[in-house]
This record gives sequence, C-alpha cells and structure tokens, in this order.
Amino acid sequence: MDEDQASEETTFVVDEITTVIKETVESTIGNSSYQHSKVNQWTSSIVESSLNQLTKLGKPFKYIVTCIILQKNGAGLHTASSCFWDNSTDGSCTVRWENKTIYCIVSVFGLAI
Amino acid sequence: MEEYHSGDECIEGIIGGVDYSQNKVNQWTASIVEHTLTQLVKQGKPFKYIVNCAVMQKSGAGLHTANSCYWDTTTDGSCTVRWENRTMYCVVSVFAVAIAL
Repeated sequence: MDEDQASEETTFVVDEITTVIKETVESTIGNSSYQHSKVNQWTSSIVESSLNQLTKLGKPFKYIVTCIILQKNGAGLHTASSCFWDNSTDGSCTVRWENKTIYCIVSVFGLAI
Repeated sequence: MEEYHSGDECIEGIIGGVDYSQNKVNQWTASIVEHTLTQLVKQGKPFKYIVNCAVMQKSGAGLHTANSCYWDTTTDGSCTVRWENRTMYCVVSVFAVAIAL
C-alpha cells in the first residue's frame, strides 16, 4: 500500500497531466478563431498556465512545456521529439487540440529531480 | 553554443537541398532529432536532453510556438535553431537538464 502511494508520487502520470493541459487549452482559446495579433499571447498564456497547474501538483519534477499553434490552412506540419533521460522516472505527454480554424499541440516533458 | 552548431549541422545535412515532401517528412523529423541527440550525448556532459523538431510547409499559414520551463536556472538551459529553405521551415529546440551527481 505504502509502496504504491510512494511510486504514484514520483512517476510521471500521463492521464492526470493530459487532463490538466486540455483544460488549460480549452479555457485559453476554446472559442476563438485564429487571429494573427493574438496568437503570441495565446501561446505564452497556455505554456504559463500549464506550468502553473503542473507545479501545483507538487511532485518532485522539473517540467518543460511546449506549445504550437497552427492556422488551418492546408499546410503540412510534422513534429518529432527525442529524449535522453531516465526511463523509469521521466516521461512526456502530448495533447492535440483543434477547432474550426486552429490546431494546437502542447507537449509536456517531466524530468524527475 | 555547441548545441546550436550541432542542431544547425544536423538540419543542413538531412534536409539541406530538398523540397517539402509529405511522404518524407516523417523520416526527416525523426532523423533530425536522433542525429542531434547523438551529437549532444557524444559531448559526454552530465545532462538529460530533450530535442524537439517541427517541420512546416511554406504555404502562408501562421505558426507560433512557445516554451516554458520549470527547472534550476543556474544549471539547466535550452536553445532553439530556426532554419528555412524555399519550401519549408524547420525549428529545432534543445533542452538540457543537469543531472545531480
């Protein structure tokens, strides 16, 4: 019992983080259409809020949050990540979100301290 | 600075002279991140690394990216390399997090 709780606290829990990120993106750009003048604010806002929520979880991790916002215009976009870390304790998760005019991709990397 | 050169050379070596091609992009992004990571690890420093690469077709669409990091600012750091040719943009970000020895 104790051991399970201890590992809960120190491993990267993908589901929990996915939920946190989805809520953050929804609340920042949920109802908006792509607007060139606002995109800068949106990306900054999303990464900062996500990071705030993640640190509130109080786990012993360093976090890196990346956000990409892309206008729906037919352009092709591919992203890839490669990580050199400790497989047993570190992890990442990526959340893809879209509405009629915007694609938003948020990646979170958690590295155990 | 060394990270910047690793990233730049890797990109140039893999997609330097080619045009955007939908069926090859997957290979390119994977190749770029793997090569960059290999070069960084060869430097033998006590860091964990995360390498992120985005390749986008030049077609007039708007793209914005942002990063935010919660770490030890005295030991950890990141750098981003932007590269382009006639038909595509490529953005590679490297994050290095110190390992406590």
